[in-house]
Amino acid sequence: MTSPKVALITGVTGQDGAYLAELLLDKGYVVHGVKRRASLFNTDRIDHLYQDPHVDHPRFVLHYGDLTDSTNLIRIIQQVQPDEIYNLAAMSHVAVSFETPEYTANADGIGTLRILEAIRILGLEKKTRFYQASTSELYGLVQEVPQTEKTPFYPRSPYAVAKLYGYWITVNYREAYGLYACNGILFNHESPLRGETFVTRKITRAMARIALGLQDCLYLGNLSALRDWGHAKDYVEMQWLMLQQQHPEDFVIATGVQYSVRQFVEMAATELGIRLRFSGEGEAEIATVVSVEGDRAHVQPGQVVVRVDPRYYRPTEVETLLGDPSKAKAKLGWTPKIGLAELVKEMVASDYDAARRDNLVKSAGFQAYDYNE
Amino acid sequence: MTTTSDATGRPRRALICGVGGQDGAYLASFLLAKGYEVVGTSRDAASAQHGGLKQLGIDGRVRVVSMATNDFRSVLQTLRRTNPDEIYNLAGQTSVGLSFDQPVEAIESIAIGVLNLLEAIRFVERPIAFYNAGSSECFGDTGGKPANEETPFRPRSPYAVAKACAHNLVANYREAYRMQACTGILFNHESPLRPERFVTQKVVRAASRIARGSDETLMLGNIDIHRDWGWAPEYVEVMWSMLQMDQAQDLVIATGRSVSLQYFVERTFAHFGLDWREHVRSDASLLRPSDIHYGAADPSRAWQQLGWKSKHDVDEVIAKMSVAARERIAQNLLRQ
Repeated sequence: MTSPKVALITGVTGQDGAYLAELLLDKGYVVHGVKRRASLFNTDRIDHLYQDPHVDHPRFVLHYGDLTDSTNLIRIIQQVQPDEIYNLAAMSHVAVSFETPEYTANADGIGTLRILEAIRILGLEKKTRFYQASTSELYGLVQEVPQTEKTPFYPRSPYAVAKLYGYWITVNYREAYGLYACNGILFNHESPLRGETFVTRKITRAMARIALGLQDCLYLGNLSALRDWGHAKDYVEMQWLMLQQQHPEDFVIATGVQYSVRQFVEMAATELGIRLRFSGEGEAEIATVVSVEGDRAHVQPGQVVVRVDPRYYRPTEVETLLGDPSKAKAKLGWTPKIGLAELVKEMVASDYDAARRDNLVKSAGFQAYDYNE
Repeated sequence: MTTTSDATGRPRRALICGVGGQDGAYLASFLLAKGYEVVGTSRDAASAQHGGLKQLGIDGRVRVVSMATNDFRSVLQTLRRTNPDEIYNLAGQTSVGLSFDQPVEAIESIAIGVLNLLEAIRFVERPIAFYNAGSSECFGDTGGKPANEETPFRPRSPYAVAKACAHNLVANYREAYRMQACTGILFNHESPLRPERFVTQKVVRAASRIARGSDETLMLGNIDIHRDWGWAPEYVEVMWSMLQMDQAQDLVIATGRSVSLQYFVERTFAHFGLDWREHVRSDASLLRPSDIHYGAADPSRAWQQLGWKSKHDVDEVIAKMSVAARERIAQNLLRQ
């Protein structure tokens, strides 16, 4: 019997980390995750995978770590001796990167370099395969439509610039030292586990809360932004596939279909039986309830439920992203299974349940946290 | 038309980060001649005075202060104390080869350094024009197609990846915050001030010593690589011109002529009356983990936008560097 493969996931507490850990455990891997220390619990996405560290040979192990700490990374990788490293850790919020550009460069850019160096320093070049979570934000001000592996990059935020460094340094270490290292250029991928401050989750969560009267209005930035949204569960499958090939290569992971933020709002509302009408332009654009069906939403026709808040505009916007996943299909046989309608349905259902729970708590006289931004 | 003093008669002030290097010294000299007040920075101010500034005889006319671009406090403090109108960022690791051994130092000194300068300029809320020294290394192998401002980057070393990162940050801050900021994508530019770890100076100095009777063998990596080598003193003039444009933009600065390293070696040795084949060996240990085979440039936009065209091509660079190397040996002999 061969010993199980060992994977190390940085950013294991995030959306992709949780789905990937689950996938790898299902495949029989021993999975080690790296999480940052925080005063608040931050493991809610992986609590269902948690194993008591006191059992023999646990198959899911967490380590404290940080991409800004070289010696910490070297020590963890030395202990774990991973067959595969998935670098999913990052300061991953585009808007926040304008506020914390240096931290973003340090964690997302130099952090990637630190892991690659750790692999070399520990002499694991032949053993350890490396996956780098790259992003469609690299395309930024898009140079062609749709975007492929050959499309030139034009990053439009400190986040994208830092991630582009991570992309190139991964390519360079592959070419310079023969590492099995590759980039997945993932377009937006969502799920009920998406962070609450990302626009899709912000929308599904707000719509559910508006439907139950926990919130009056949803404030958004650029409603016309076009994105290619897939399901995170489909995308982590591809991350694993990329490390199982003969030769390391970079791949675009996307659905090839594009919607606007406005359309996403409409789809989320429709899930709850709310029909919306958008009117006005720019900062004055609003969405008004036209009609309500079913018993899930307690809103009135005429109620304004979406407004624009220019605070959410970015100093440099990315207007449109559309990926061409044909290389992934041709070479790895990968196609996304979950379309946007199904994704929105799942996210709204999950957020509606959470909102109902908050509603119950409130109606019993307890305080429910709003977690406002 | 830009004048070099403001309404009150105060001369314009330039801050040159990394004044200890080749470009820093030539730029300081050029700006002084234009009537600028020049402040230079170096990680260690005391040692910078002994470098290029001294060789150009301007060490007394440039105030040098210590600053580390990777330390935000140090950058902000320097901006507040010196109050510059223009900043030229020439600081940072400069060696492609070294960056494979010190990759973290490469990104910290290059990209984090640029980020700190951009953030400090935003912070002091004064209209400071910012020039960033980019690099043709960002293009990687250009093959037969000369690179221009539209050519996508394909960096091939930690140095080039860091330079690409810095380039993108400058563009993003220009677009996001309307800053007068730009990157000059300079192809190789040489001069007698180049240190010997750069291949051009390594070749010239070795040839000059061999001509004087040294029996050394010059060890080189791949001599089939092609580069566009220009004359540094005329490249620093473009840095200044770029900051005088109405709207800052990134430009490729080069001669437009690429030759092989073998050509450079052959011409240099011929200049000293030597046959290079008798003195040069290829050494595999000098090959880089990943190298650029062919670098070629199309500098036509600089001509359209600034009316700038290089006056000295590689043959003149070789001649001028060789003359300087010969004089250097003569001076050393005099001192002995």
